[in-house]
Amino acid sequence: MLEVKPEKGILLFSLLAVVLTVSPAPAQSVSAEEAVAKAQQAQFYAGNDMKAKVRMRLLSKEGQQRIRELVMLRKNLPQAGEQRFFIYFSNPADVRDMTFMVWKHPQRDDERWLFLPALHMVRRIAADDKRSSFVGSDFSYEDVSGREVEEDTHTLVREDTLSGRPVWVIRSAPKDERSVDFSYKLAWIDKENFVLRREEFYDKRNELFKVFTADEVKQVQALWTAVRRTMENVQNGHRTEVVFLEIQYNLGLEDSLFSERSLSNLPARWIR
Amino acid sequence: MNKLIGFSVDHPRLVITLTIGITLLFAAQLPKIKTDTDPKNMLPITSPVRQYNDQVESWFALHADVIVLGIWNEEGIFNSQALRRIEAASEAIVKIPGVIARDVIGLATVEDVTSEGEILSTRPLLADIPATTEQMAAFRQRLLANPLLVPRLVSADGKMTALYIPIEKAANGKQIAEQIERLVGEGKGSEKFYLAGDPVARDTFGAEMFRQMALFSPLAGVVMVVLLFVMFRSWSLVFTNMAVAMVSILWSMGLFVALGIPIHIMASMSPVFLMAISTDTVHIFNELYFRFPEVGRKKEAILATMGAVGAPIVYSDLTTTAGFASLGIGPIIPVRIFGFLVAFGTLVILLMSFTLVPALMTLIREEGLRNHAPKERQEASRATEWLGKVGQLSLRRSKTVVLLSTVLVVLSVAGIARIRINNNMIRWFKEHSAVRTADRALNESMGGTAPLYLVATATQQDAMKDPAVLRGLEDLQQFLEGKPLVGKTLSVADYVKRINRVLHKDDPRYDTIPESNTVIAQYLLLLNMGVQPRDLDNVVDYPYQKANVITQLRSWDAVEARTLVQDVQRYLAAHPVPGVEVRPAGIAYFNMVWNDEVLVGMLEGFIASSILVLFLLALAYRSWKWGLVSFVPLLFTVVVMYGFVGLVGKDFDMPISVLSTLSLGLAVDFAIHFVSRFQQRYRETRDLSGALRWTAARPGKGILRNALLFASGFAVMIFAQLTPYITVGVFMIAIMLLSAVASIVLLPAVIALAPGWLLPKEVSSVGS
Repeated sequence: MLEVKPEKGILLFSLLAVVLTVSPAPAQSVSAEEAVAKAQQAQFYAGNDMKAKVRMRLLSKEGQQRIRELVMLRKNLPQAGEQRFFIYFSNPADVRDMTFMVWKHPQRDDERWLFLPALHMVRRIAADDKRSSFVGSDFSYEDVSGREVEEDTHTLVREDTLSGRPVWVIRSAPKDERSVDFSYKLAWIDKENFVLRREEFYDKRNELFKVFTADEVKQVQALWTAVRRTMENVQNGHRTEVVFLEIQYNLGLEDSLFSERSLSNLPARWIR
Repeated sequence: MNKLIGFSVDHPRLVITLTIGITLLFAAQLPKIKTDTDPKNMLPITSPVRQYNDQVESWFALHADVIVLGIWNEEGIFNSQALRRIEAASEAIVKIPGVIARDVIGLATVEDVTSEGEILSTRPLLADIPATTEQMAAFRQRLLANPLLVPRLVSADGKMTALYIPIEKAANGKQIAEQIERLVGEGKGSEKFYLAGDPVARDTFGAEMFRQMALFSPLAGVVMVVLLFVMFRSWSLVFTNMAVAMVSILWSMGLFVALGIPIHIMASMSPVFLMAISTDTVHIFNELYFRFPEVGRKKEAILATMGAVGAPIVYSDLTTTAGFASLGIGPIIPVRIFGFLVAFGTLVILLMSFTLVPALMTLIREEGLRNHAPKERQEASRATEWLGKVGQLSLRRSKTVVLLSTVLVVLSVAGIARIRINNNMIRWFKEHSAVRTADRALNESMGGTAPLYLVATATQQDAMKDPAVLRGLEDLQQFLEGKPLVGKTLSVADYVKRINRVLHKDDPRYDTIPESNTVIAQYLLLLNMGVQPRDLDNVVDYPYQKANVITQLRSWDAVEARTLVQDVQRYLAAHPVPGVEVRPAGIAYFNMVWNDEVLVGMLEGFIASSILVLFLLALAYRSWKWGLVSFVPLLFTVVVMYGFVGLVGKDFDMPISVLSTLSLGLAVDFAIHFVSRFQQRYRETRDLSGALRWTAARPGKGILRNALLFASGFAVMIFAQLTPYITVGVFMIAIMLLSAVASIVLLPAVIALAPGWLLPKEVSSVGS
């Protein structure tokens, strides 16, 4: 859910669109900022919409686990950066039918809603903290939905190969350190398909604390997708493994699906 | 033995050079010293309490070492500048190396879950510091009404806030505390800062301990040098005595350092102990000054002296060695190290008494001795005369003396019955020390600095989503918070109640555990989305099978913790939490177990050593009766000392437990000198009262000098900054004087009362 400021963002997007359509094999001379923008596009904006079953395994240091299974629906709106998310929890049984919806706005705070089936209660959620954990996992909201390219200063550290793939290693440091819990991060971005292969987060003492890895990347409907991902907190030993199953792009999701009504009453076909 | 003495007298320079050489070898090891000041390590890592604590820490992502920082503002913390300074302090603290940044808990690092109408809001508590006075007042009111925050993070009066700062295991709590102090001190506000918590106390003590040792050991040495000189007017004696002490300290410390053995708190006291034990020189010189005028020639006088005092020296040193070595059999490693270290040092003292001491005496010029001897006679005559009179008095009034001593012993036994085995590390600091002041301030305003964990374990997963279980925990918490010792409790039930209330528009009627498992499960997922995962991890494990009731105690007192744990066990027996077993853990519980295992272990070790010493005494005199008689001063000293401890209500803590072992070294030492010399004299003269008077006057003078010397030397410790050293000072004086009096006054009386029983036709001899 990349939030892009219109003045710069739209320009960037048109540029991106041109680059993406004209040359799938990218130029080597791409700037760090462009590479990050493209990677964001590939990771968080692929297709017009998307549906996937997501299985998350939260592992403690001792190997104890919590399982979360959910269905994720996403739709990009025509306005640049605008997105809609719908999350339906299917497992464990005691949270089945819980739903969570996000309206991602590029210019202002996101809107979030939550439905608690046990109380049949819908609540708006005001949360302006993107650092906070996504459903208790090692992923933060930002890790799941993206971070504005303009919020960081990006520099190309080196060109390298990772597991046989040519990559750029890009260092991104936040312009406003107060808003984040990292002092900088390093991203390994695939030069050919812009898939984020690996990301390292360094804490305020410049010590490594989180590592993201794309463990399995494949093409789904011609879109490169990391279908297995892991975020590991190397400091506390916690780890979250995510598997995307039954991924479908461009299904033609209706706008009306992403409404407060759907929270408590999601059409069954979307959660099968 | 005689060969050794003969060789040393014949080749004094060689012996001295050799001793210096070996000493330098040992001293060269000292820079490699490894210290371990963490009292935790007195229990091995494999001990059940440590293993369970490690497990609990891992289940709930907790940290063993947590510094508590209290920030206090007279005007209250609820003004934007103060809050901003608190935020800045948090930002600065997480950057300190050794601080586990991700788990620092304070106002600046927790989420604020609130409801604004239909909107549920979660945001960092200090994300938007209120700008206007009205907003600030509302903010204050809201925070002070939140039981998740008061008094854990904010005091009820709004004047203090606390930060819980976990540090890495290898980090030094004192150094980090100092860095925090420097950093927060830069805020230029009007706040006061208090730093408390186990790592601060423990590492401050560790650092202070070595500083105080480095200051007071030499100071005690200087006082003793001066006194020795005043007593004997002989630099050679002063020098010899100090040389023997130094050699034994350097050899034993050097050996243990070379072997890679870490020096713990107890072993750090061994130099003081060895100084106190190395008294052979005083006895030897005491005798030499009497002998020289009698014999007239130096070499013969030395040999005669060694012949007279050699046996008691061997026996007293060997008994002391055995007593300390027997501490080395116990299960507690630092106590073992301490026992072996002192035992080895005592053997070195013994060796020096037969090598270095005669060698050094040989080098004294005869004129020096001749000049000294009359002076010694003349000046000491008053003391000798007085001691003779004391001996005579205790002979004439032997019944009274024994009766009075018995009364004293009976009184002391009553005192012993009242003894409380207790340890409280905070009380190792003085009343107005920074550590104790901080601990007091935090315990008055905040939840408490000593964490106790009550870990509820169910047989099944997801048990912590069961309303009955959560209500059981809620009731347990209510019971706990009714105890004055408990400042605050926190459990998963508190989070569930909180979210229930917030979701229902902050209606206080919903400050309850909901009725169904699914509601609780959904709340927990919601909480996972709203608060820091760590906050929940601290109170419930991943499979929701275990819950942790974090119980903050306002005191580090082991006995108070024990009472609470027993109360909890009784409460749970009457009100069990369904399907759940509750076990204590955490540092407060650890201290309690430590108290039992280390102090009781020490006490048992001491009793075992005493029995061993009794056997050795019997063996040395080849007589049960004489063994028992020489045991009297030790028994008397220990019983009266402990009785006093019990009567004045002082806790039997670690310093006292260590000190009691010293009486093994001293009381026995005095008794052996007295009894052996009495037996020698009696064999020569066959005059009971004459021999007793002579012994009280002549070897008795050595004993009294010895006692006075060390009593004064260690009196300087009364000015130490750490209470254990003050205790060492006071009790060293008590041990010295009590065992001297027991030897000079009580022993003759006992012997005089039962001569028929003790002295058959032939007195068994003690000889090498």
